[in-house]
Amino acid sequence: MARLPVQTIQRDPQLFYWILFPITVVMVLTGILRHYATVLMATSPKKLDQKTMREQRSMLHGVATRSNFHVLSGPSFRARRDYLTNAYETGAFLKSPDQRGQPPPNPMTDPGAMDGMMGMMKNNMAMMIPNTLIMSWINAFFSGFVIIKLPFPITVKFKSMLQAGVATREMDPRWMSSISWYFLCIFGLQSVFNFLLGSDNAASQMAQQMGGMGPQAGAQMFGPGVDPDKQFKIETENLAVVEHYSVLDGVEDRLLEGIMSK
Amino acid sequence: MPTEREFQIAPIVPESVMHNTKALSNLQNLTASIFGAAAGILGLESYSGFLFYLVFTVLTTVLFYAIRVAPTSLKAGHATFDTSRFFRTQYEFWAGGLFGGLAGYILTWTLFYGLVRA
Repeated sequence: MARLPVQTIQRDPQLFYWILFPITVVMVLTGILRHYATVLMATSPKKLDQKTMREQRSMLHGVATRSNFHVLSGPSFRARRDYLTNAYETGAFLKSPDQRGQPPPNPMTDPGAMDGMMGMMKNNMAMMIPNTLIMSWINAFFSGFVIIKLPFPITVKFKSMLQAGVATREMDPRWMSSISWYFLCIFGLQSVFNFLLGSDNAASQMAQQMGGMGPQAGAQMFGPGVDPDKQFKIETENLAVVEHYSVLDGVEDRLLEGIMSK
Repeated sequence: MPTEREFQIAPIVPESVMHNTKALSNLQNLTASIFGAAAGILGLESYSGFLFYLVFTVLTTVLFYAIRVAPTSLKAGHATFDTSRFFRTQYEFWAGGLFGGLAGYILTWTLFYGLVRA
């Protein structure tokens, strides 16, 4: 196969100062702005009244007792279990004990539910708006410029993606237009943000999409539409099936074994 | 494989695991970008560029093991090249850097290649 001669294109060196650097700087600054916007817009948790707080905390108390039973001694665990089970079953912790057994209110009409949705909306907006703006900005100002060459060869299939707005059939697909530099920045700047803002930043949209699932798990437990009375019942059963043992069972044997093996 | 009971006797603290992973990925991201700049300035193309990345990432990982992990891990009775004292999976330590840093590497490689070989 005859090798094609290497294409060289005379480019104005000013392209670097007026296209490459502006796009890169704008991308980095947008990432930083997005990070701080997310930090500033984060809603502080709403203040709960005493009854609601008690309901949630006693639920967590049950979970903590169940998952950490091994650090409690036997009588101590049984005392906690009896107390919690009794309180759960009589509904002593419920916010409104007289509403037991009624279906929970529709989450769409509950004003408290709107908060969580607004938070998700805000996050999505913080991602979408800058992206759309920058895309259209690059398309309006810089479309049609060939600015940089990839250091590795790629197949012709990438041509339509990398050379968007440059309709030259014979050009090597390694040449990139400004819009593809923008895409490369989206994927590659994560490490720069890690370095600038610390690794749990909100600058990169990639991290946002992956982390988007995380914080909802906590809210789900006490979210609207969940009947706390039913949750207490489930927790009662969970507590009842715990077969208690302590980490201190047989500790003297383990200690002696450790000394003997030395 | 340790049983649930052994985990309760000697628990694994999630914060420490997070911290270890974070330190590792920070190093990987940063070195990947720096290697990209180096490859671009050297004017490496196609295979030699990727080979450069592979060799230097592996070298970084081995150095990280030798300097940070090995002194305490060998003393605690782990085998050579066993990182289980600090990291949950061996894969994460030995191969995580290759894929985590690739995007950053390509970005800086392209940038510096374009700047130097204009």
